[in-house]
Amino acid sequence: MASMSSGDESLRLCVFDLRRGQTEGQELDKILFFHPPELDVSTQLSVTGLSEGLITFTRLFSPEAACEVIEAERHSHVFFEAETDIWMVMVVEKNKDTGAIWRIDALRGMLKEVHSLFVMFHGSVRALLEKEPTGGLTRAQLYPFITDYLSTFQKRSRSEDWCCDLFVGKKLQLPNFRETTLSERGTVQMLTLARDTALEVQSLVQVLDSCAGNLQCHSMILFQDLLVSTTLSPDDTTNLFTFAVMRLTSQALLSSDASSWSYLRKGTGSSETSSTSGSIDSQHHVIRPLQNDKWKKGKDGFLVTDVWGLETGGSPDSAIPIVWLQQRQERVYLLAYQYKSLTLLLLLPTTAVLNGGLSVSAVKHQVIEQASLRIMKIEEKISRGWGGENAYHVKGYRYLVVDTDLEVSRASPSGKVATLAKESLLALNKLREEVDLEKSRAKRQERDLEICIRAKNNAWVIARVSRDKELYMALEKASDTLLDATDAVGRFSNW
Amino acid sequence: MSSRPSSSQTSVGSGALSHAYIQHPSLRCNVPESRGLFYDDANRLLICVTSSQVFSWETATFNPDVSPSVDSIPEGPILSIRCSLGKKVIAVQRSDCEIQFFHRETKQTLTHKCKAGSESILGFFWSDSPLCDLAVVKTSGMDLFACDSAMNLRLVETKKVNVNWYIYTHESRLVLLASGLQCKTITGFQLSTAGVVRLPKFEMTLATTESNSKPIISPGDVHLITVYGRIYCLQVDMEAMLLHTYRFYRDAVVQQGSLPIYSSKLSVSVVDNLLLVHQIDAKVVIIYDLFVDSRAPVSAPLPLLWRGYQGSDTSSQQENEGTESSTSSENIVMYEDAWTFLVPDLILDQTNKAISASSSDRSSLLEFLQRRKLEANKAKQLCLGIARTLILERRPATQVTQAIDVLVTAYSYSVKAGIYKELKNEKTTATTPTNDGASPDNERGRASGSSIDEEEEVEMNLPSGSADEQQESQLSSPAISPDELYKFVFASVEEAMVEESDYLVAIITEFLRSISAEKLKVDLNIYVMTVRLLAHSKRFAELSLFTTNKIIEPSKEVALQLLESGGQNLRVRKLGLDMLRQLSLHHEYISSLVQDGYYLEALRYAQKRKVTSVRSSLFLEAAFASNDMQHLAAILRVLSELIPGFKETSEYYTFHGLLNETSSSVAV
Repeated sequence: MASMSSGDESLRLCVFDLRRGQTEGQELDKILFFHPPELDVSTQLSVTGLSEGLITFTRLFSPEAACEVIEAERHSHVFFEAETDIWMVMVVEKNKDTGAIWRIDALRGMLKEVHSLFVMFHGSVRALLEKEPTGGLTRAQLYPFITDYLSTFQKRSRSEDWCCDLFVGKKLQLPNFRETTLSERGTVQMLTLARDTALEVQSLVQVLDSCAGNLQCHSMILFQDLLVSTTLSPDDTTNLFTFAVMRLTSQALLSSDASSWSYLRKGTGSSETSSTSGSIDSQHHVIRPLQNDKWKKGKDGFLVTDVWGLETGGSPDSAIPIVWLQQRQERVYLLAYQYKSLTLLLLLPTTAVLNGGLSVSAVKHQVIEQASLRIMKIEEKISRGWGGENAYHVKGYRYLVVDTDLEVSRASPSGKVATLAKESLLALNKLREEVDLEKSRAKRQERDLEICIRAKNNAWVIARVSRDKELYMALEKASDTLLDATDAVGRFSNW
Repeated sequence: MSSRPSSSQTSVGSGALSHAYIQHPSLRCNVPESRGLFYDDANRLLICVTSSQVFSWETATFNPDVSPSVDSIPEGPILSIRCSLGKKVIAVQRSDCEIQFFHRETKQTLTHKCKAGSESILGFFWSDSPLCDLAVVKTSGMDLFACDSAMNLRLVETKKVNVNWYIYTHESRLVLLASGLQCKTITGFQLSTAGVVRLPKFEMTLATTESNSKPIISPGDVHLITVYGRIYCLQVDMEAMLLHTYRFYRDAVVQQGSLPIYSSKLSVSVVDNLLLVHQIDAKVVIIYDLFVDSRAPVSAPLPLLWRGYQGSDTSSQQENEGTESSTSSENIVMYEDAWTFLVPDLILDQTNKAISASSSDRSSLLEFLQRRKLEANKAKQLCLGIARTLILERRPATQVTQAIDVLVTAYSYSVKAGIYKELKNEKTTATTPTNDGASPDNERGRASGSSIDEEEEVEMNLPSGSADEQQESQLSSPAISPDELYKFVFASVEEAMVEESDYLVAIITEFLRSISAEKLKVDLNIYVMTVRLLAHSKRFAELSLFTTNKIIEPSKEVALQLLESGGQNLRVRKLGLDMLRQLSLHHEYISSLVQDGYYLEALRYAQKRKVTSVRSSLFLEAAFASNDMQHLAAILRVLSELIPGFKETSEYYTFHGLLNETSSSVAV
């Protein structure tokens, strides 16, 4: 444990494959990813070994769903079976004093999210392992991917007080109860449009679709960090939306500009995993889609990146990002166009480009020619009609509404949530934890609960869950009665 | 102004294609010893004179068999002849200094003379301006007279201008007086009901060449036409081979550009606000629509043809000069030397179909059709047909969109202008038109579109209902309401396009955008249809956006369609459920929930909203079917509270019994 000198001791995250390293002495082969990388091998093995043991044990009683979480005195172990026999385990330190209070479902949400994103860019882990059975390629891709993903949270602490020392800044800060209580990872936030604007947008979507000729292509439009339109399935939408908000939207580009230093991995390279992955980098074509500061807006309005290579090397289309759409089971080129706050994602099937003689530059040209004027107009129209970041604030309430079927959520703006007392948030966080538990137990049909609790600070914390919708709310008006609280529920949920 | 309509004997190839047709049979005036034919454009009379008699045919309502009215006048030369606007008085110009007036009822006569030698009479016309009843144009200017019922002429005003020649049309109420050596200085007066307006003097454009350094404009080179309520003057510039157009405004005359000329002889007609330029040497007619800024012709040049001409039987109207016929070519039919084209009234009609077949830009074609007044219903049917065809031919969406925009804008405009009147419902229930190639020969009895011997007929492959046709034919505007567009375009192509629903949805979206921009409403069935199409192509993401953004307006019908289409997709079904709930259609909402197996949720909802209309057995049977006795018991209890007297029903008894039975058996 002496080697755990870095500031990352509060978090461990590993990915391992139960099908690998079955014989004694080969255990290390199981591990596909470990964070922090500099942790010595024996500690890595003890974490994965313990996890595997727990999984095997709990499977005896519940073959379908093995263990989900282990709460130790100082740590929580969060389990997520990303693919069959491929597990992700996150170990977080609990500390009430530093605010390290977690909601397990929120942490599991991160595991789900990073896995979904990985699959979107690289395909499933299992497929990668089958393609290259030594696991070298998988490790080489997983390592920078998850590290880049985690750096998003590192980034957050950095940009808040960004003149601080790099090493302090490098400390990971996972989203704690302040961020996760009134938000839901893995959902999309929609922009509510007026009907006439919606028609304009839909008309634009059709123009975009037609830019690739007769080819069926997909598109997604975002305004700032809100979804305006999509033609993708909810799962694909959520993944691409998450990625866009992380790296592509005007705000994502802006924040990467504001801190225009490039992220340098500070790994010492002492541990075996990192040194292997380091040496593998040269063997495999490693792509780091989540790498920060890699997207820039080109002169023509399209976003460019060198993550997928440089345009000079090989065919002109080789440098274009490619993502995998789950629903359609096809690989598509990702083109991103940006005008002010509006970000448009265009997805072209790669097969059509490779075989059908469709050229990406021709499509770009079509977009500029046919759609740029409309894009401008729509941006203007939406901007004019938008109420700003507090547009969805409802005075007196701090709320989160989730539609679990549509994977859509809406919440009070984070700036407003931050004004809640810590006690209220903690109480609501606790309530959510209970609800999460209840949800996993109840059959879908019977999911129907409404809980109003008066917290110690006299705030009302409320949860209402039905078959397909969830509402969480905090009311801090001390004079409110239970009747007022249930009234509020009625106003927010007409189901 | 002498005007001699004529025609000739010809044989026409039946397969010949043309935009413009002359109506057959034509009006015949077989008057022995005819001394001349005149056309009185103010009264739309065709006048044929003999030495002592005047035969006049009404042409306002065209009927080839109409018999002329006959008046006797004293013998003498006749330079021109016109009836007063009440047709009470016949005025005859006898010489360049004498006009005689004959009262048809009182047989009174009056002779008006000008100062012989110093001036001569060029012509005269009647006016309905409040200031004067008669205008006499002389070389020294124009005299305006008032004329009372007793035929007393009183000079009201004199406009002093040197005049070489003049032209006048009653349609425009405009007289143009030409002066100068080249006759290109034009002074215009409009004798309208608002009074006499003097237009600014203007010069016509004339190119000069070495061979002809001072060309002179003759009255035959200048034509006054009225299209879309605007007055234009067309002037032939033979040296430049251009037809210049001038538009008259109240206080200005503005040259509007020029049309090319392909013939050394040229004439013009106006049909339904379209300019027909007859290139006489080339024996073709070119159609222009002056409404659009473009000076491009509406259609390719095609010859003028006879419509309904049977065969070889010989000529029509007697006409001194034009009796010889040309049968040189099958297609080239017309344009005898003797023909005179009467500007406002020589009416030819285009066949819209021929234009639609030869015009490539559909949206400007639709714009063009939407401006047609003469055959509003046919234009309308054609527009619908074109829109349908555009979609069925799978034209690029942008093109179809443009076309639909045109129709929607035209409708919106005509509603605002009050032209469009919604017809009664029975009309819209008329059969959906189909391209069955029905006979074009219906509708002879049109009110307008008459002419002397040249008449029009519209050929359409569009069908026509029977009785409705009459009613529809009286439409004053070809505008098409969104509901009609839905019924006759979208709904009628749905079946054929179901495999290309993406395309159809794209067009419907643009249509909705277009009507939303014009703040119009449309039959909500279009939303039902959109749901069906989107669900068919499995575009659930968009279906969801369409619904949440209210592009698809919520209604019970839409919700039920969502539920039906949601058979394939739970999310879609959910959209339908949400819509029912938002519309507070409690009964439907609860029934659908039970149907989906969410009977507890349904009952909770019913309890909360105090809905008792849903059959209680629905809940009970659902719970019983799921074999959950706890639920069954709970439901029985809730229903007993919800529905007064429920405990007395046989239903309660039955299920209560079942419950006891099961629980006791469990206990055992």
